[in-house]
Amino acid sequence: MSAQAPLVNIRNLVKHFGSVAAVDDVSLQVGEGEFLTFLGSSGSGKTTTLFIVAGFEDPTAGDVEIDGRSVLSVKPNERNIGMVFQRYTLFPHMTVAQNVGFPLMVRRRSKAEIDKAVKEMLDLVQLGAYAGRKPSELSGGQQQRVALARALVYKPRILLMDEPLAALDKRLREDIQQEIRRIHRELGVTILYVTHDQEEALRMSDRIAVFSHGKIAQIGSGADLYERPADAFVAGFIGNSNFLQGSVVQSQQDQVAVRLDDGTVIRGNTRHPLAANARVRLMIRPERLALAPSNDQVDQSLDVTLSDTTYLGDMLQHEVVTAWQQRITVRTNDRAAASSAGNALKLHFASTDVMVFEDGNRATA
Amino acid sequence: MFEAISNNPYRNLRAPRVGLRRLRPALPALIFLFVFMVVPLSSLLLLSVTKPETGLGNYISLLGDATYARVLLNTFIIAALVTLVTLVIAYPVAWLLAILPSRVSQIFFAIILLSMWTNLLARTYGWMVLLQRTGVINRALMGVGLIDQPLPLINNLAGVTIGMTYIMLPYVILPLHATISGIDPAIMQAAAITGAKPRQIFWHVMLPLSLPGIGAGCMMVFVMALGYYVTPALLGGTSNMMLAEMIAQQVQSLLNWGLGSAAAFILLAVTLVFYAIYVRAIGLGRVR
Repeated sequence: MSAQAPLVNIRNLVKHFGSVAAVDDVSLQVGEGEFLTFLGSSGSGKTTTLFIVAGFEDPTAGDVEIDGRSVLSVKPNERNIGMVFQRYTLFPHMTVAQNVGFPLMVRRRSKAEIDKAVKEMLDLVQLGAYAGRKPSELSGGQQQRVALARALVYKPRILLMDEPLAALDKRLREDIQQEIRRIHRELGVTILYVTHDQEEALRMSDRIAVFSHGKIAQIGSGADLYERPADAFVAGFIGNSNFLQGSVVQSQQDQVAVRLDDGTVIRGNTRHPLAANARVRLMIRPERLALAPSNDQVDQSLDVTLSDTTYLGDMLQHEVVTAWQQRITVRTNDRAAASSAGNALKLHFASTDVMVFEDGNRATA
Repeated sequence: MFEAISNNPYRNLRAPRVGLRRLRPALPALIFLFVFMVVPLSSLLLLSVTKPETGLGNYISLLGDATYARVLLNTFIIAALVTLVTLVIAYPVAWLLAILPSRVSQIFFAIILLSMWTNLLARTYGWMVLLQRTGVINRALMGVGLIDQPLPLINNLAGVTIGMTYIMLPYVILPLHATISGIDPAIMQAAAITGAKPRQIFWHVMLPLSLPGIGAGCMMVFVMALGYYVTPALLGGTSNMMLAEMIAQQVQSLLNWGLGSAAAFILLAVTLVFYAIYVRAIGLGRVR
């Protein structure tokens, strides 16, 4: 994000439903033109935060500023924000063109101006030929593209999207993801996007805010979250991961040595200083692991037994078991490493690929 | 050949033939309808064209005579007025019931249904007590000093409209509530976020989407009101007699069976015409 003042500034937002804190002290800034995704499982507070920005929910505490001014007292229809919803929300009694023209009609623009803008928008979402149709005559993907056109036709600076593709099948979803990316580039509109799909978040966003239990667990680029997760929750939520238990032998700045339960000592990295003997969890991505015959000499390794190999086309996925019966997943495209089940192997990995986290009590989703 | 047809896996997809055998379960109802509906209606039709003399004289005098035509016109005006007033009052109630928490709306539904289940005559007498010159409403208004003279609230159009509107309200509230509850609130939110003011959302989105409920409710009330007897007879005046009252008068007081039957048939025909228009416009499936 640039040094200029943020377009959207969410400060210490709290929202209680009864005794439940749906949003629990969320703060974040969104830069002009940024594509920011709220990623989290259901009930993590991502949608509630979005609805507070839209003005459909009032926060229990905290503030939402747009352009440096609090919008909490501004009604949704006066916030000049665009929004695409998870459910199909086109007006069923209006044609596609009337739906897209609706925001301009309620702004009392001239018919000529509305017609021109509607045509432009329908061309943008590649549905120019469908202007006269009713929403019920469109597929789900087409309806969401019309909804996108309707949300953009009045040129809002901020576009909110609440899981707009959740109801669509995978192929269609990927097509529309690309289309949304293209429209974001062409129009430069600031997008706040909610999804529970980490792949979607990684594919589309400039930055991702990972929500958990009403709080932001981590906010950063996809690479930040994948390579440098803040805690075990984010590490488990983004991408595939293997977790091992151990206790700290020695910790020096970001370097840490951990003794596993069977006595093996493994070196890894940590973002926070760790006390000696602290219980920790080690995380290694499946694709950062390699397998070698058990008599090979390697830098850092674990003795394992191969239990299963799955052919995934572009990759092989091996399930291996440690001496203390913990299963570990290995993904590799090294076909030479193929071996038969039951063989003793060495699992080896670089210390920079081992991430060590304090063993909190938080679930790893 | 027949073998081949009966083995056709798609044969069940063809439109089912309504054979006599399939109608057998409906036989008791059909017999009931025939004995208590078709037979009396046929004899009424016969009466209307034979008494006092054979021909269409009864129909000609009903539609031609100024007094009778006035009653017919009056019936339509009152039915339309009651429908309109009922709709205007019922819409906000149905809306409120749709957005209230269900525990609260259950209580309101209980009140509405209880009033529906209370005897019609008892409720109409209740309105007489409230509306008459020395009734509760007039005395209260005079007591507060808002009026000097009692308002003429009974034995006129106002009395009929108030009494009938009250009785008809549930018949609009219930279908309208069903329609409004079925509208996805996200559609209203979508309209709001695009910049529409609450008034614009109502006129451009909510009202068009509640048309099926409005149609069903209004159809029900208008048709019921056309043939209403007890309430207009007790709360109305002689100057705004409705058709049902006239039929009763012709048959009971004047023993003019022919004219009464003809009037009943005109009412039935008009009702069927309105029903047909409604079915064409909105569809049979929406009549709940």
